Amino acid sequence: MISCMTSLDDSRHESFLRLFTKTEPALRGFVRSLVPTVSDADDVLQEVAITLWKKFSEFSGDAEEDFRRWSFGVAKFKVLSWQRDRGRDRLVFGDETITLLAHDSESNSGKLSAQREALKVCVEKLPPEQQTLVESAYENGSKIEGLAKAMERTAMSVYKQLHRIRIALAKCTRAELQKEGWQ
Amino acid sequence: MYPGRTSKGGLAMNQEDLLSGWMEEYVRGEASVETMDRLEKEIQNDPTFREEFLDYLNVDLGLSLQAASTFSEESSLVEFSAPKRRVSRRTWIGAAAAGLALLLTGVVVIQNQRSFATVTKRIGSGGLETGTKLKGERFELDRGIVEMQTKLGARIVIEAPASFQFESVGRLRLFHGRIAANVPEAAQGFSVLTTKGTAIDLGTEFGVDVRPDGESEIHVFEGEVIAESKDGVRQNLQGGEAFSLNSETGLSRELRSSAFVRPDELSLFHLENADGMRGQSDQMLTELRSDPALITLLDFETDNELPPGRYRMVQGRWPGLRAPEFVEVGDHMKLDVGGDRDWSELTLAAWVRLDRLGAPYQSLLHTDGWSMNNPGQVHWMVTRHTTMRLALSANTLATGSIEKEGYPDSKTPVLPAKGRWVHLATVYNSKEGSVRFYLNGEFDSDSHQEVAHPARLGPAEIGNWDRQDRKLSGRIDELIILGRSMSDAELRNLYEVGNPYKREGNS
Repeated sequence: MISCMTSLDDSRHESFLRLFTKTEPALRGFVRSLVPTVSDADDVLQEVAITLWKKFSEFSGDAEEDFRRWSFGVAKFKVLSWQRDRGRDRLVFGDETITLLAHDSESNSGKLSAQREALKVCVEKLPPEQQTLVESAYENGSKIEGLAKAMERTAMSVYKQLHRIRIALAKCTRAELQKEGWQ
Repeated sequence: MYPGRTSKGGLAMNQEDLLSGWMEEYVRGEASVETMDRLEKEIQNDPTFREEFLDYLNVDLGLSLQAASTFSEESSLVEFSAPKRRVSRRTWIGAAAAGLALLLTGVVVIQNQRSFATVTKRIGSGGLETGTKLKGERFELDRGIVEMQTKLGARIVIEAPASFQFESVGRLRLFHGRIAANVPEAAQGFSVLTTKGTAIDLGTEFGVDVRPDGESEIHVFEGEVIAESKDGVRQNLQGGEAFSLNSETGLSRELRSSAFVRPDELSLFHLENADGMRGQSDQMLTELRSDPALITLLDFETDNELPPGRYRMVQGRWPGLRAPEFVEVGDHMKLDVGGDRDWSELTLAAWVRLDRLGAPYQSLLHTDGWSMNNPGQVHWMVTRHTTMRLALSANTLATGSIEKEGYPDSKTPVLPAKGRWVHLATVYNSKEGSVRFYLNGEFDSDSHQEVAHPARLGPAEIGNWDRQDRKLSGRIDELIILGRSMSDAELRNLYEVGNPYKREGNS
């Protein structure tokens, strides 16, 4: 594998990885804000990553900020085409809404990253049984239906409780961010 | 629900509930046409709602990222054999740039990997500091005892010497050493991996002992554990059961609760001043060594002074120090001291950590020459009633004695329910015909002899008897044989300076 790579490839690969790794959390937050579910965001992000690498030779800047802007542009484009593909069999937002959300999400991307950090503090403030519920519900591959069955509850009541927890966490993170001086 | 809205937008409460409900449907991926239309309208017309909407989605993302890093990769090195079009969500999230890197190199080292557990307590100097975050690296623990708590709340105590590595928040590989785990419901499924197989928790407290040669045993204190051998054969173990993973099918074993320091015991030890306490103990032993009546004092610390026999050296009651442990049928330690004369007075004392469910008799010290024709031979043991006994051959109990089996026994059972360290002592005086018993430095009871021969020592076994199995099941430390009576005060002092536990904890 290494032998067929030239040193140019190596250094290009290295600088790409450096930039991509730096940008990835913000990019993920951006993509997630434009699609309904986290796993939708995963799907789109993979497409975005592949496109970014393929087109990396066309990327002229070298600063992180340049890369971030470029990758957000590619991501928005990918989301729109994903929406169009999806729109045939599933309900998605129209281009206008996506553009609006993308604008707000991009201009707040630093704040959204900080919010995800603050979330850790807020989760720890939850009562233990709610922490456990959140962990179980968000654990990879877990199905709310299965979880509800194990808890001897209806899936809908678990969904509703998770919703209330997310609302409470959103509120808590807003308060945390205010403490840190975010507007 | 949205404090900003009611004041600014003046929306009715039920409208807020509706909006909130729509967000929930959307994130679940099950929004209806109507819901989507309304959401779009709100997003386009109301910047405040747009912000709340983005916050909500972001919280959803944050939670799934947290879960992914808690349940992160099994190893810090992820290998991709071939570029995959689609990787699993978990791999993708956990591996940061991996999804991309797999296109390029095939191998990526995950950086900033989250920790799986934190060191919460430590006894003894050296080793892992309290607060250390444990990630996927391998640790060698040479001294002391360490307690860790995993991200999911499992408490794990590891005793030196040990070598281990977390493979994920729910998987611990134990190369050698002993661990005891207390696993709450949230951490169910916690597994300990050895070269011989795996212990999979089903909500319980259990221990795993991996010897240097790889032999592995699982001991279940409470609850249930699955023992899975290397070839995949599974066996359910209930509380009170033990299992060896050695042979192909595995073997049932006797539960050895004394072999493991469990989380609740750890909190009893001196954490802050273990070294200082040991200093006092060492000073006391130094004084005893110059006592003209001393017959022997075994602290088991110096290799070339270790008596012959078959036993394992494991951690003693002070972290970093050692003690012999007797496990297998036939384990014993040979001793030959004080055989040249009669002893009209004798004090025997030792720290022991024994299983309650040992053989009917657990030998502390048994002379080889026991016979009714050979008076004064000494047998010191713990009986099936877990009382302490001092028997001398050809001695008889005084009339009116309450003992039913013909030998002087302590009044109180001397073994705690869980295998913890206790100090046992007995003082024999043939001229007075008295046997006095002490538990943890406190006088327990005395017994009177009608016929009392001077004590005779010579060839003997610690932890067994050469004629029939009287194996002690557990550890013994700081064995003292003294050719005079120790006073109540001396024995209390011996216990106090040698006690590894905090005073209030050892009740």
